[in-house]
Amino acid sequence: MIPFLRQLQGELKKLFARKRTYIGYGVFLVFEAILLTLWVNVGREQFEELAQRNFIPVELLSSSLTAAYWIMGFSMFLLGSIYFALVAGDIVAKETEDGNLRMVLARPVSRFRILALKYCAVLIYTVTFVIFVGVTGYGMAVLAMGSGGGLFVWNPELYILAVYPDSDEALRRLLTGACFMGMSMCVVTSLGFFFSCLKIKPAAASVMALSVFFIDFVLQNIPFLANHKEMFITFRMANWVYLLQEQVPWERVIESYAILTGLNASLFVVGWMVFQSRDFKT
Amino acid sequence: MLEVRNLTKKFGGKTALKGVSFEVKEGEIHGLLGHNGAGKSTTLGIVLGMVAAGSGEVRIDGISVQRDPRRALRKVGSIFEAPAFYDYLSGWENLRVLVGLSGRFDRAETREVVERVGLSDRIHSKVGTYSHGMRQRLALAQALLPEPKILLLDEPTDGLDPEGIKWFRDFILQLREERGMTVLFNSHLLSEVEQMCDRVSIIRAGELVYEGAVRELRDDRPGVRLHVSPPEIRDAVIAELGGEAMPGDRWVFPGETRVPDVVARLVKAGAEVTEVTPVRRSLEDVYLEYSRATE
Repeated sequence: MIPFLRQLQGELKKLFARKRTYIGYGVFLVFEAILLTLWVNVGREQFEELAQRNFIPVELLSSSLTAAYWIMGFSMFLLGSIYFALVAGDIVAKETEDGNLRMVLARPVSRFRILALKYCAVLIYTVTFVIFVGVTGYGMAVLAMGSGGGLFVWNPELYILAVYPDSDEALRRLLTGACFMGMSMCVVTSLGFFFSCLKIKPAAASVMALSVFFIDFVLQNIPFLANHKEMFITFRMANWVYLLQEQVPWERVIESYAILTGLNASLFVVGWMVFQSRDFKT
Repeated sequence: MLEVRNLTKKFGGKTALKGVSFEVKEGEIHGLLGHNGAGKSTTLGIVLGMVAAGSGEVRIDGISVQRDPRRALRKVGSIFEAPAFYDYLSGWENLRVLVGLSGRFDRAETREVVERVGLSDRIHSKVGTYSHGMRQRLALAQALLPEPKILLLDEPTDGLDPEGIKWFRDFILQLREERGMTVLFNSHLLSEVEQMCDRVSIIRAGELVYEGAVRELRDDRPGVRLHVSPPEIRDAVIAELGGEAMPGDRWVFPGETRVPDVVARLVKAGAEVTEVTPVRRSLEDVYLEYSRATE
């Protein structure tokens, strides 16, 4: 186990030593700032009206936690998927293209292990990135709106409307939700990783992963498929919001995350099988 | 130390290797020669387990690469033409990542090897700032960690300046002398192969056309470059003496023939001899002959 962890440390070192790994972090900070500005100046007013119609105390809406929830939800799904597909699409295909992989394959280490190290590294990147977005989103919201206040959650797609006046419980709920959101985003990462294992260019791997993701998202939103939403990956991925429902529907959550975990594992195994059968030579 | 037995490989419908077999003995420096596309890189790829053989087997120190690649590759260090390191990491970090994959990274041992290849001053600089020569030294350092028994060198001196080539050659020869290192050396530079290798294997269109000692391959028969007219008399006299034509107005004669005797016979036959230069058939001549012989 210790050699694996040391090797994983090396893989993470490679991932986080590249400047472009940080482009995503920089872009997200700017995007979060834009979303926060829009929330404070436009969104808050609309939601105050919504709260008043539902007899919810307005002060709950104006909290930094509610802002962080909206920032996370929007920015991660729209922009996060692009970065995860880019990073995961690069992780194997870029090294193959640059020739680094020959140096790696010449070492006494199995191909399964090489892929397992790379997959673990991109999963860690994904989860830490989501947490980074959550923490910085909340931090920015605190700077703009001050700390304290509860959490207001509204998701018409999943029929969720929840209010947490107690800020401690609100924070706990939001953190749990962020962790599950991180797990959801691992699906995009797994898609990128799978395509990266094929004999294609890194950019093609990222584009393929994003194509699958967005096609799934579009299909899920077609009205005549509304009764079949549960068949779509993006619907299952959005199930992290159930963690913010007052009575968490654990059966549904477990089912969705079991499906997503199974999908991730399948993508890894098929990617490994393809990678194992490939010849690497100049 | 390295046994390559009856390797075959097809890429799509194209045959890349047809039953290639050769052996590299312990402490030997063995050259692998062949034109571009002859099958050298495919052979090395199979030896390193990067390319799956159609049939046949490679054994390193008795361990099959096909059956137990991890154990077999523990004894191997390799260098590729234009080694691709992680440019955004330092030389030291590159070594740490790559050597770590072998399961053991020893700082003291690494420092010693880095010093030996002459990279101590720049080992903590990013590899992106390295010259080609420095990259090749780093490649040598990673190949020597942790303590291989055999080195596989794929065009290691390509792109190096003459000084770099000499340094590399001396380093490999010293390694063999000190540690009895076995080396499989794939190169286009025949002069390098001639100076470094004990034995060579020549591959042509996926087939092994020669395997043997370099000294056996060298032709020590007396050779001569002649400018003689008329050519009819020249050819008749040379044929009588059992001479063989080589490219560039050169001929080789049976071992007992002396060059002055050749000239005397030509003059006696009425030919005008305007140039006589004794020459030795180089490895290149022999290599080209083997290549042509199978075309």
